[in-house]
Amino acid sequence: MRAATTRVFFGLPVLLGCCLLMLSATAQNSNGPRLADGHPDFSGTWENGSGIDFVQPQQTGKSVCVFGCGGTPPPPETQGVVATPPGRPQYRPEFAARVADLAKRQVSEDPVLRCKAPGVPRIGPPDKIVQRPGEAVFLYDDVSGNFFRIVPTDGRPHIKDTEPSFLGDAVGHWEGDTLVVETVKFNTDTWLTDDGAFHTKDLRVVEKLRRTGADTLEWSATVYDPAVLSAPWQLAPRVERAAKLDMVEAAPCIEQSLSHMVDDTHHTNPR
Amino acid sequence: MGQKAFAAAILALLTIGIGSASAHHSVAGQFDNSKRTKITGTISKIDWINPHTYIYIDVKGDKGEVTTWRLESLPTAMLRKAGLTSELLIAGGATVTADALMARDGSAHLAWLLKLTYEDGHFFQLAGE
Repeated sequence: MRAATTRVFFGLPVLLGCCLLMLSATAQNSNGPRLADGHPDFSGTWENGSGIDFVQPQQTGKSVCVFGCGGTPPPPETQGVVATPPGRPQYRPEFAARVADLAKRQVSEDPVLRCKAPGVPRIGPPDKIVQRPGEAVFLYDDVSGNFFRIVPTDGRPHIKDTEPSFLGDAVGHWEGDTLVVETVKFNTDTWLTDDGAFHTKDLRVVEKLRRTGADTLEWSATVYDPAVLSAPWQLAPRVERAAKLDMVEAAPCIEQSLSHMVDDTHHTNPR
Repeated sequence: MGQKAFAAAILALLTIGIGSASAHHSVAGQFDNSKRTKITGTISKIDWINPHTYIYIDVKGDKGEVTTWRLESLPTAMLRKAGLTSELLIAGGATVTADALMARDGSAHLAWLLKLTYEDGHFFQLAGE
C-alpha cells in the first residue's frame, strides 16, 4: 500500500509533466506546420503589409469601385503628411547634404521610378515563400517585376564569386523558430527607402521572419552601413497575413510617365 | 510591391483626388486636378503594363474622324485585385465615358483616368473624385 502510494505520489508529477510537455509541443506546433528538419515552414503566399494590401474594392452588381468609394480605409497619410512614420535611416552629418539633394531630385534620381529592382530592405517582406530543409526561396510581386531570392539555411557561407546585385547575396540560419537572413554584396543602384536614402557597397541587411499565428508572419529588418549611417537602421516590424490571391506573372514594367512630369513634385514612397 | 509599398503615397494622392497606382511617381506632377474632362468613345486597346496601365479610347468626331485618347491608370495588381480584366474594361466595344484629369504638360490627348461609365450604367471607379 505504501509502495503504491509512493508510486502515485511520484508518478503523478511525472505524468503531469509529460502532459505539460505534450501540451507545450502542441502549442508550439499550433502556430503552423514544420519541415522534416523540425524548423518552421513559412511556405505560402503572404500579403506583405504594403503595396496593394490596403486596396479593398467594392462591387455592386457589375460596378466596381477601387478608390474613392467612401468605404476605403482611412489613409495612413494625407497630402504628404505621414501619420505613422515608416522610420528613416539616420546618416552621418557629412552626408546630410547629399541625402537632401537626392531627395529633392527624387523624380529624376530614384531608381525604382525607372523599374529597377527596389533592393533590400525596400522590397519589403516576401510575397511568397517556398521552403524545404536547408533552403528558403523568397518570391516577390513588385511593381517593377517579379523577383526572387534564394536563402540557403544549411550553414553555407556567402557566395564569393558573385557580382554585386540589386538584391544581394543572402544566407540564413535559425535562431530558435526565427529565420535570420543576412544579405550582403549589393550594388549601389538602390535606395534603402525613398527620399534619397542611398547606401554603399558595404551595405548589410539582417532580416528576421517568425510565425506569430497560424496565418501570420512577422518580418523585421535591420540595416548596417556604418560608413554612411550614424547607427543601424531598425525598420518597424511588419505583419504578413496569408494572402487570398496567389501570385501570377508580373506584367512588364515599362516606364512611360516621367517624360510628362512638369516638375519635381515629390512622391512620398516609403517602401 | 508586392506591387508594393507605395501605399501611403497612393492613398494620399487618392485622397486629394489624384490617384496614383503604385506611387510610382507623383501624379500631381503630371496631371492637373483642376482640369477635368469627359471622353466618350470605345476602348480600342489596353497596355497591361506597370507601373501604370494605359487605356486607349477612340473618340469619333462630327465628321467621322477618330481621335485616340491615352488614359493612364492603376497598376495591374490593383486592377487584378479589383477583379478587373482587359475584357471587362473593353466590354465588347461598348460605348464608355471616361472622367479624367488632363496632363499638365499640354499633351493633347493624355489624361489620368478617374472613372469609366458604360452605356448600361455600370461603372468602374478607379480613383478618387
